Amino acid sequence: MFDEVFLPHMAEAYRLAQWLTGNAYDAEDVVQDAALRAFRGIKTFGAVNARAWSLTIVRNTAYSWLMKNRPKAVVFTDDLSMTEQQELEHEGLHGKRIETPEEIALFKADAEDVQRALAELPAQFREVIVLREINQLNYRDIAEITNVPIGTVMSRLSRGRQLLIALLGDRK
Amino acid sequence: MTASATDNDELQINAYCDGELDPASAIEFERRLAGDEVLKAQYIRLLTLRRILRSLPQYDMSPGLKNRMNSGLNSERPRTTQRPLQGSWSFHALAAAVVLGAVISSSIMMMIDRQNLRAGVASQVVAGHIRSLMAPRPFDVASSDRRTFKPWFTSRVHELPQVVDLAAQGFTLVGGRVDVVGHEPVATIVYKHAAHTVSLTTLPLGQSVSAREIAGYNVRSWDDAECTYMAVSDLPSADLATFERAFSAESSVLESN
Repeated sequence: MFDEVFLPHMAEAYRLAQWLTGNAYDAEDVVQDAALRAFRGIKTFGAVNARAWSLTIVRNTAYSWLMKNRPKAVVFTDDLSMTEQQELEHEGLHGKRIETPEEIALFKADAEDVQRALAELPAQFREVIVLREINQLNYRDIAEITNVPIGTVMSRLSRGRQLLIALLGDRK
Repeated sequence: MTASATDNDELQINAYCDGELDPASAIEFERRLAGDEVLKAQYIRLLTLRRILRSLPQYDMSPGLKNRMNSGLNSERPRTTQRPLQGSWSFHALAAAVVLGAVISSSIMMMIDRQNLRAGVASQVVAGHIRSLMAPRPFDVASSDRRTFKPWFTSRVHELPQVVDLAAQGFTLVGGRVDVVGHEPVATIVYKHAAHTVSLTTLPLGQSVSAREIAGYNVRSWDDAECTYMAVSDLPSADLATFERAFSAESSVLESN
């Protein structure tokens, strides 16, 4: 059963772990832990969505691993209020405005810039963006994996993207 | 961005980019998008962000990790299912994986086909039930004695029904009829439970579907060693489940005698 449920999603699991932890070594540890947890917990799999189930375990393992080994690396903020959000949109994280579509030129960001910016995001925004853009999951699955309502997924995605745009627009 | 998009627009535009708007809202949104420069600018940013995120180099698992994981798991697996350790990913393994993938996806397609067929059977069985309720009485032959059915059905259907008396469990045997499913006559036994009619159709093996509601009627099906039984009724699904249990228990008693 484990072989049919968890193993097919290993590559994705690893990818997610890598983005959540920020590096390959930690991701390896996380995936190994997650596989073990999945193996032991296979009976709790409710035969609904193997992919979401597997990624939920990886996500939760990643956070508990980080809390244990690198507690400073996990920053959850409160979801930003609309005012804070708007300040961010208008000023960027370091006070620079994103003005017009012309500034889309700023989007000539390279992979390193984007990775740095992603790493700067608070964890709850980073995870929804990774699940959506890298793992390409739909809102329902993301809601299931991160254990929040779909509405929260929507607002986190929206805000996370704004933050990311601000961070990228602001880079030197 | 002085005339900033409203929060609701912001959510909508994200949902639109993510393909999560329902078709009607999406069309509506596209109409607005065409005439609104602020929205359009935001839309382009989101698409640009998506493009750069999706073009990020993707990490792949090292073969070493796979091996370590396998050995970690092998110590967990019961001995009988222990698999040989895999040395490394070879071209052959990759090719095998590709072929397996193709086989799996084609078998999924076949499964979907098969399920569509079965759903078609279930809806024909329900149609038979509905038709019977329109008739003066929902059966062709009236009897509460299960032994009368065998000779009657023998000349009419291929698959003889298992007829059990469930009066003790609250389901009174009232009669039998012939339904037509996929151009084949099949046997249906009719039970009464208070004011409710339960039709139990006997089908060739392998036609069962998951419990569902069709046209307002609950459908429940199960297999025994020889055929598929499909029960249709306006009874709540829990009562239909009780019916299945009563039927299965009673018919296994009959068989062992």
